[in-house]
Amino acid sequence: MVSRILALGGHDFTSRPPDRAVSELMLRLATERAEGRPKICILPTASGDTSEQIGRFYAAFGERPCDPSDLSLFRLGRRPMALRDHLLAQDLIYVGGGSMVNLLAVWEAHDLSAILSLAWRQGVVLAGQSAGAMCWFEAGITKSSGRPAEEPGLGLLGGSLCVHYNNEPERRAAYLEAVGNGMPDGYGLDDYAGLIWEGPGPPSAVTARRGARAYRVTSSDTGVVESPLPARFLPAPAPAALREDIAEFRRIKSMRKRAGWLG
Amino acid sequence: METAVRQIVAFGGGGFSMESGNPLLDEYVLGLSGRERPRVCFLPSASGDADHYVVRFYRAFPAERCEASHISLFRREQGPADLRAHLLSQDLIYVGGGSVISLLGVWRAHGIDEILREAWEAGVVLCGLSAGSLCWFAEAHSGFHGAPRQVEGLGLLPFSNSVHYRPGSEHGLAYQELLRKGMRSGYAAEDGAALHFVEDELSRVIASRPQARGYRLDASDGRVSEVRLATTYLGDSPMEAPRLVEATAAIAA
Repeated sequence: MVSRILALGGHDFTSRPPDRAVSELMLRLATERAEGRPKICILPTASGDTSEQIGRFYAAFGERPCDPSDLSLFRLGRRPMALRDHLLAQDLIYVGGGSMVNLLAVWEAHDLSAILSLAWRQGVVLAGQSAGAMCWFEAGITKSSGRPAEEPGLGLLGGSLCVHYNNEPERRAAYLEAVGNGMPDGYGLDDYAGLIWEGPGPPSAVTARRGARAYRVTSSDTGVVESPLPARFLPAPAPAALREDIAEFRRIKSMRKRAGWLG
Repeated sequence: METAVRQIVAFGGGGFSMESGNPLLDEYVLGLSGRERPRVCFLPSASGDADHYVVRFYRAFPAERCEASHISLFRREQGPADLRAHLLSQDLIYVGGGSVISLLGVWRAHGIDEILREAWEAGVVLCGLSAGSLCWFAEAHSGFHGAPRQVEGLGLLPFSNSVHYRPGSEHGLAYQELLRKGMRSGYAAEDGAALHFVEDELSRVIASRPQARGYRLDASDGRVSEVRLATTYLGDSPMEAPRLVEATAAIAA
């Protein structure tokens, strides 16, 4: 059983190529693990379970070969769910962005932290962006209380993570200062850069946008060092509409071939 | 120096969240401050700070009637930076409905639980419906998260609480079952009824609907008694209820 985590610096679920590339990666990780149709569940807790975040997730995965679902802890009144059973049955659990402090507090209140840790050990892929990526580490840099500040995570992964590295200089500066002051070494992730842990070894870096990078961030006697990591580029799949057009074209082409219209 | 009176108004359900066009309970809590234009802060934490809920609050509490604000703990980069100073300067703190477990988790993470106790002791009136009622009590009966369960609240009021209560309903019987299993005695309110506590004691029961009632439930030796409380309907010219106990029913184990 391999325990896997995909940490993303930042992305969205739009139809733009880098977003499609990230969604495709998640679908692939879930499919590799699944015995049948992969099950992918979003935990939108960090946003307060906003309809917007949930809607975008379904827009990205609703038409793909998987069973998407959402577990909204703020909406259980309208739709009670067996939290443990549902989460342990997934192939991939995706955690959206928002407030890291609230995310962990609400999970703790619902006893979700222990369930997610168990799911990870059982091989369910854990994925997430922003707060949903930092939560797996020993610590992250969150703006949950306004200004960027160090915040402990679940600690499934050792070390620390800082997200939106290229986009939020204030967050990056706070991270570098914190690592210099004793926060565990870790990683910085630009938007559209990601790190994949598969088992106990070091992670592999991926990027869905040219120029988006993952950094190893370590403190040394001479100060804090940021070293960019070599990253595999994730190509964007054709958009859904285009895929249908291609399939249609191929069907016609093969019909013609069978009929002897084409050489 | 004047001593502050600690007050909590716990709605079984009602107010702008559930009774669009019926402002009786909301007017009642606004009236408790005695100010012409009271300061009221809405805490929508139990809903995950849902945008539509915040909008409905501002519509129900317009600027000509009060000085309204809200705190979103999911968007701390906006809104008041000093939560304590803001909450302590209010006349009324109004807590919305949703998930009481999530509510308490988020509050504790931001230190709101301690601030609310301080505000209560300083005389800021605390109120709310559903999760916003359950949270004030030592023990709460929540049916929101699936199977009925007992949740530990902030404990400002040393009782248990059940909301959206109806005698004999599945939900009502679930509360009685919890009481039989050792939950402390407490109070329940139907939709449209509210329990007004002054200091640690129930002072009166008020209602925005003529038939809505509050109840006292006690358990001893495996038996639960349900006492229907006299309730003042706020739609008539309100007057003090002559006696608090309206009817007593003993429910066999």
